Amino acid sequence: MKLINKNAAELSEMLQAKQCSAVELTQEVLTQMDAVESQVGAYVTRCEDALEQAKQVDNARVAGEKLHPLAGIPIGIKDNISTRGIRTSCSSRILENYVPPFDATVMKPIRDAKMVILGKMNMDEFAMGSSTETSYFHPTHNPHNLDCVPGGSSGGSAAAIAAGEAILTLGSDTGGSIRQPASLCGVVGLKPTYGSVSRYGLVAFASSLDQIGLLGKSVKDAAMLQSLIQGHDKMDATSSYRTYTNLYENLNGDVKGLRIGVPKEYFGAGVDAQVKDAVWKGIRLLEQNGASVKEISLPSTEYAINTYYIIASAEASSNLARFDGVRYGYRAQSYTDLTDMYEKTRSEGFGDEVKRRIMLGTFVLSSGFYDAYYKKAKLVQRRIGQEFTVAFQDCDVIVTPTAPSAAFRIGENIGDPLKMYYSDVCTVTVNIAGLPAISVPCGKSEMGLPLGMQFVGNAFAEQTILNAAYGYERLVGGFSVMPESICAGGKNA
Amino acid sequence: MKDYETVIGLEVHAELNTQSKIYCNCRNAFGLEVNSQVCPVCMGMPGTLPTLNEKVVEYAIRMGHAMHCKINGVCKQDRKNYFYPDLPKAYQISQAEVPLCGKGYLDVMVAGEMRRIGVTRIHIEEDAGKLLHDESFAGSLLDLNRCGVPLIEIVSEPDMRSSAEAKAYLETIKSILQYLNISDCKMQEGSIRCDVNVSVREKGATEFGTRCEMKNVNSFSAAVRGIEYEAKRQIELLEAGGTVEQETRRWDNSKGISIVMRSKEDAQDYRYFPEPDLMTIVVSDEKIQAIKESLPELPNVKLQRYVFDFGLSQMDATLISEDISRSSFFDACVAIGTCKPKSISNWILSDIAKYSNETGKSIPETALTPEHLTALVEQVEKGVISNASAKKVFQIIIEKDQDPLVVIEEKGMKQNSDMEFLEQLAKDVLAQNEKSVSDYRGGKTNALGYLVGQCMKASKGKVNPGIVKEIVTRMLNEG
Amino acid sequence: MKIDIPHIAKLSRLWIEPEKMEKFETDMAAIVDMVEHLPDVDEALTLDAKHPMQLREDVAVEHKFRREEMLANAPEVQSGCLVVPKTVE
Repeated sequence: MKLINKNAAELSEMLQAKQCSAVELTQEVLTQMDAVESQVGAYVTRCEDALEQAKQVDNARVAGEKLHPLAGIPIGIKDNISTRGIRTSCSSRILENYVPPFDATVMKPIRDAKMVILGKMNMDEFAMGSSTETSYFHPTHNPHNLDCVPGGSSGGSAAAIAAGEAILTLGSDTGGSIRQPASLCGVVGLKPTYGSVSRYGLVAFASSLDQIGLLGKSVKDAAMLQSLIQGHDKMDATSSYRTYTNLYENLNGDVKGLRIGVPKEYFGAGVDAQVKDAVWKGIRLLEQNGASVKEISLPSTEYAINTYYIIASAEASSNLARFDGVRYGYRAQSYTDLTDMYEKTRSEGFGDEVKRRIMLGTFVLSSGFYDAYYKKAKLVQRRIGQEFTVAFQDCDVIVTPTAPSAAFRIGENIGDPLKMYYSDVCTVTVNIAGLPAISVPCGKSEMGLPLGMQFVGNAFAEQTILNAAYGYERLVGGFSVMPESICAGGKNA
Repeated sequence: MKDYETVIGLEVHAELNTQSKIYCNCRNAFGLEVNSQVCPVCMGMPGTLPTLNEKVVEYAIRMGHAMHCKINGVCKQDRKNYFYPDLPKAYQISQAEVPLCGKGYLDVMVAGEMRRIGVTRIHIEEDAGKLLHDESFAGSLLDLNRCGVPLIEIVSEPDMRSSAEAKAYLETIKSILQYLNISDCKMQEGSIRCDVNVSVREKGATEFGTRCEMKNVNSFSAAVRGIEYEAKRQIELLEAGGTVEQETRRWDNSKGISIVMRSKEDAQDYRYFPEPDLMTIVVSDEKIQAIKESLPELPNVKLQRYVFDFGLSQMDATLISEDISRSSFFDACVAIGTCKPKSISNWILSDIAKYSNETGKSIPETALTPEHLTALVEQVEKGVISNASAKKVFQIIIEKDQDPLVVIEEKGMKQNSDMEFLEQLAKDVLAQNEKSVSDYRGGKTNALGYLVGQCMKASKGKVNPGIVKEIVTRMLNEG
Repeated sequence: MKIDIPHIAKLSRLWIEPEKMEKFETDMAAIVDMVEHLPDVDEALTLDAKHPMQLREDVAVEHKFRREEMLANAPEVQSGCLVVPKTVE
């Protein structure tokens, strides 16, 4: 079995036991990249110094330096996370040549742990999308079926894990952008509690909903990386000041006595029958092993998508106003005056989906409409949060499908925004309420495409959802993440 | 022409003199090399986040207390969205719905009378950068050093009725800011700026007229000129049968005119919404109270006391109260209680002011103490020494820490008030000046001055001229 | 609901190509029709005083970044300043 088929937890042990070197591991990942990247398109920027980084880890290990368990593990970073000296484009033309002079806070523990930074992952432009088709550079393909989307917006981060082009990746999740692609690519994706991972340096889409998280092959991987990146940051006023415990060391897969809530609203007409079946099968498996299952109701779920699109677009319209061709980024070639420069720069620099969201956000905040849209949505947001609080009085985790369907074909939904927005129907509530959630693979569709199951926890109950998901992973005998075709090096192999 | 009344409301922006900027730890400094005091946060780089400077909150609450505002210990910040090159994020973090300080008032003195001006609110926000224009260059140059400099915006009610009231209001705000040591108040550096709202209406009308907002008012004198210009413009418009349009105008101080910037139809839609990158500001009641108790007596309160309790003129009282070192010196002298406040005021505004001007030293930087000045003034008031002598003593005690009584003694400056001695002196002088005596008695009363002068001369200036005059007059009339 | 796209685009400093206008109008109308389906919540939005923000100490840090670094991404720079089309003050 090749190294790239192993998960981070296994590789960490091998590296520490010197059963393999960081250079060997990194070289294998780079070889895989060379073999499949042209078909998958997970990356927008590759770090040329990856092997050099790996060499330094090996040298440090030989020198007897005390290293972090994740030292030498290759990681890809979503392209909306600022990386000093490495282009951070958000897959947008407007930031095509932007190289940040600073690192996002989350990069510090990653660099300090000596993880090997492979490059920047493709995404929907400014994280607006559910298919990674809105990237200015190229779409990303689902490694399980190259004609299908990997989901989005962290499509590059998810596809890279499934394709063996990275061992771990960072993503961001505003309405499902980690979990939905994790589900569609058959990998594990964790969206932590709002405020538990610093947002400083994450290019903002919707500030009150955005959260950096991660993708990997196993729940252990998620626990390890989350333990590394979580923590209070004084540069982020919304970051939560509290004690953070090591989630990996406390990982416990015993599901006996676990109280599972299953909200009926997440199994409605819009969700594919095969998805519902797969998730129920998972729930029953947990029940058979000692968990208790209770049907619950989260009645405001039907307003979640609407609430989400109002709040997220409103914030986005303001957050993306700074891209004006003055201090950084693209500037139109010819213009007549200041306003013309702004309009041409932004119109040439942004894609249509981004423009749509900016205009929606501008509209809902504009004079005369604020109360009817934005204010109302904020009130519904509070109500959705309250419903979760009530639900968590009687259960430890809430289990739902992650996405309403398996991966759809590239181009299938791109012309129909409403259909695309519906991809987030099972995930947006979690962002609206600021909760943690993890998506894990749970079976395949008739077409052989991965399906996902989501565990939602109460605020800062990362350990609870990781334990439940780990319990599930053990019960199914582990997740097989990488499709065989890709393991063999893709179509051309 | 009908009788009109001008209605004025002011929005004053004052830069706070904190060490660091409002939302990042860049230095808050003026006049440094362009774009040298910027970081990813104040430059609005993608992914950066604001963190609120605690001193900004404290300073704004200080000003709120000074203006008798209701302090909102729980409040938030909002985004004001608009595009302009000097605003890197294309939104200004400000406060919309709930300002840090709510309703209050400010008492100001206009022509010797107190006027109470309502304060609508005081909120915190960030300053923008600076655009530099050069005729020789086709574009504009942008310096972002000022981005993120903390500001408070003080919004008044439309309570002022003349440019004089507006000026008094502005000057009072300036002196309070200096008293509280929260702003440098350097007008030439733009640390205080204001927007002026002006409307006119017929005297006695209950409804306000349509108002115009005037921007780019960069000095208090510009505010006065701008208000007068704008009131005249509106009145002329109404008198000619026209109507005032609600619009934003720009004051051109060099030309002395205001010109339309944008009409009501073009009013900007700022799309305010709560700043999602910041959480609720919560200041405890204890903290709010502690800030209140730490406030010094304010210049407008002092002014009132000086005029109404001590009988100083508004001019003198203003000159003392607006300067914190002067007023604390004045207050300390008055507290000693041995001489008249009016005498102290005169000394402060004449000899001390002159010395400060010449040496560039403020009162605390000199050797002068309230004890020494009052001791000196007391000697003058009692007639022990002459004014001329006192000025000589003053020159010594402002330079050196010396007891003025000792100086007077050493220099032999004491005036003689011994009645026997004085009567003898007067007798001698009258005997030596028979012609003047007969002149006086013949009706030429101005001979009195000459005779008194001769007494002074004979005593080498060490007698009290008032008493001598009394004695000489008595003798002349008796004889 | 019909959205005034030219007005909203102007506010957003976007320029919509005439050939794309119709599609934007249709899409936006559909999106707004969807999102406006929200319940009336008869409550006031209150501030969350239970999670007060930690404020930053007022300490200035000098020379965190060099000017060249900060201006390295700018499309046009002259004499240490960013260059923009002429603004009328």
